[in-house]
Amino acid sequence: MIAIETNSLSKVYTSSFGKKKVNALNELDLVIDKGTIFGLLGPNGAGKTTLVKLLLQIIYPSLGSAKLMDEDIGNYKLKKRIGYLPEDHKYPPYLTGGDVLKFFGKLSGLNGITLDKRIDELLELVNLSKWKKAKVKTYSKGMMQRLGLAQSLINDPELIFLDEPTDGVDPIGRKEIRDILLELKSRSKTIFLNSHLLSEVELITDRVGILNKGKLLREGTVKELTERKEEYKLTLGDELPGLSKYAYDNLIITKNHDGSYAVKVDDIRTMNILVDKLRGDSILIKEIVLQKNTLEEMFISLINQEEKGGNE
Amino acid sequence: MNNIFQIIQFTIREALARKVFISFGSIILFILVVTLLFFWLADLTTLTSVANQSGQNIMMREIVSSLELLIINPLANLGLLLAIFSSASFIPVMLEKGNIDLLLSKPISRAQLLLGKYFGVVLFVFLNIFLFVFGVWLIISIKFSYWDASFLTLAFVITFAFAVLYALILLFGVITKNSILGMMIAYLIFLIISPLLLWYKEKLNEFVTSEIVDTILDGFYYMVPQTAELMGMIMNDLAMGNGITNFQPIITSFLFLISTLVFSVFLFRRKDF
Repeated sequence: MIAIETNSLSKVYTSSFGKKKVNALNELDLVIDKGTIFGLLGPNGAGKTTLVKLLLQIIYPSLGSAKLMDEDIGNYKLKKRIGYLPEDHKYPPYLTGGDVLKFFGKLSGLNGITLDKRIDELLELVNLSKWKKAKVKTYSKGMMQRLGLAQSLINDPELIFLDEPTDGVDPIGRKEIRDILLELKSRSKTIFLNSHLLSEVELITDRVGILNKGKLLREGTVKELTERKEEYKLTLGDELPGLSKYAYDNLIITKNHDGSYAVKVDDIRTMNILVDKLRGDSILIKEIVLQKNTLEEMFISLINQEEKGGNE
Repeated sequence: MNNIFQIIQFTIREALARKVFISFGSIILFILVVTLLFFWLADLTTLTSVANQSGQNIMMREIVSSLELLIINPLANLGLLLAIFSSASFIPVMLEKGNIDLLLSKPISRAQLLLGKYFGVVLFVFLNIFLFVFGVWLIISIKFSYWDASFLTLAFVITFAFAVLYALILLFGVITKNSILGMMIAYLIFLIISPLLLWYKEKLNEFVTSEIVDTILDGFYYMVPQTAELMGMIMNDLAMGNGITNFQPIITSFLFLISTLVFSVFLFRRKDF
């Protein structure tokens, strides 16, 4: 089942007198399955928040359409099934943590004992039970984020949008939030995550999208995006008599500092030919590892490529 | 309906938390205490005996109503200015980034959100005004042992005048996400335009010879909310127990209120945040 589907979704911001136009989102086609954690990455101003705001009808599209859980986004009652934590959320300083959850719970259609029970559960989940009766103006940044997360879950939503959920949270708090998200995923919730913390996205997301200047550059699983298909690390039992003997047109072999070898090939068959050759020379092969980029390396390289492409 | 009720409740809580409204309430209480002290200490035996000797309830009614109006009239005008000042920032604060995103992500329509905020502010101002009118009425009624509840209807008229002006603040708040312009226009209408148009209608129009100018000014008179009439003629009529003798200022102001609210909701529903 599909949780999020966009068709040529576009947003153009026009200045007051129509002189300046900014393409915040450019014909975005995206499909996200139910029960997955999707991470949207992109530099500042890439259009990440614009996309979430469009899906929640906080802003309106210039072109295209979108569906959430098979329903048109125009129906505001659909939001009963959605949770949202905005990037710079503000809560009235005179309310307590419990009051904040009560207000947003009531707006989401909850009431009475069900709501009270849900508030206690969520405060327990985000470790704020002791702060239930404290005014939010006394909360730290990290506590505000945790309260925001609880607020986004108040209606037990099927689909949750989180914009920088770990912003300002300490490492232990971040681990706790990650665990909460994984627990939500195990309950078939769909999570749409906007984050700058690529290492974190790498740890929990099923699929990742990379957005730059309103365009979706890549989309896939973390594995698909980080694999370097043609590069292997080769650890041998013996030292090679000479590198040139094994290098040929479609294969480049170099020695690493740790004594292993880096092999670049055009495809897997070439790698197999090398293995045959090595075995033919009775060289012991200890390990062959397909090399991977970190998500951060891949992200930076992709954005740089895009920038160069755009400048040319 | 539940959503509007939630927003109204939330707005009243917001108002109670604001120092400016606490000051507003304190001023009302202070005025009531001063009024109470004045009537407690003042020797009004001559006045009450004259009224009683006349043997007519009408005389007593006139004395009581005049006294009530003497207190209420200037203070209601001042109170209205204060109420506009205290409540003008409610809309821009709601539209701030981080606030509005959260509210619009909930299952509440934009119309419900905006109207809930509007009615929440109006209800809170009404409660303050009613407290004030009721206090003055109670003190004077006890002192003269004369009870006529028609004076209490003034609370509705003052609130209605506020509601009309606040609709303008709402509209300009939605357009500019700021309270200044709306507040300026509300003050301009209340303090200058409406009294001037009333003055024109009652006195000056005899001196205008051009039919075009007369038609234009006449048009303005019916288009602009008639707060001068509401806070003057209508209030006096009600306080004196005459009932409403001329409904026209209420009808035109009400039409202005409705059209301003409809236009505000229309703009709010189309706006990006």
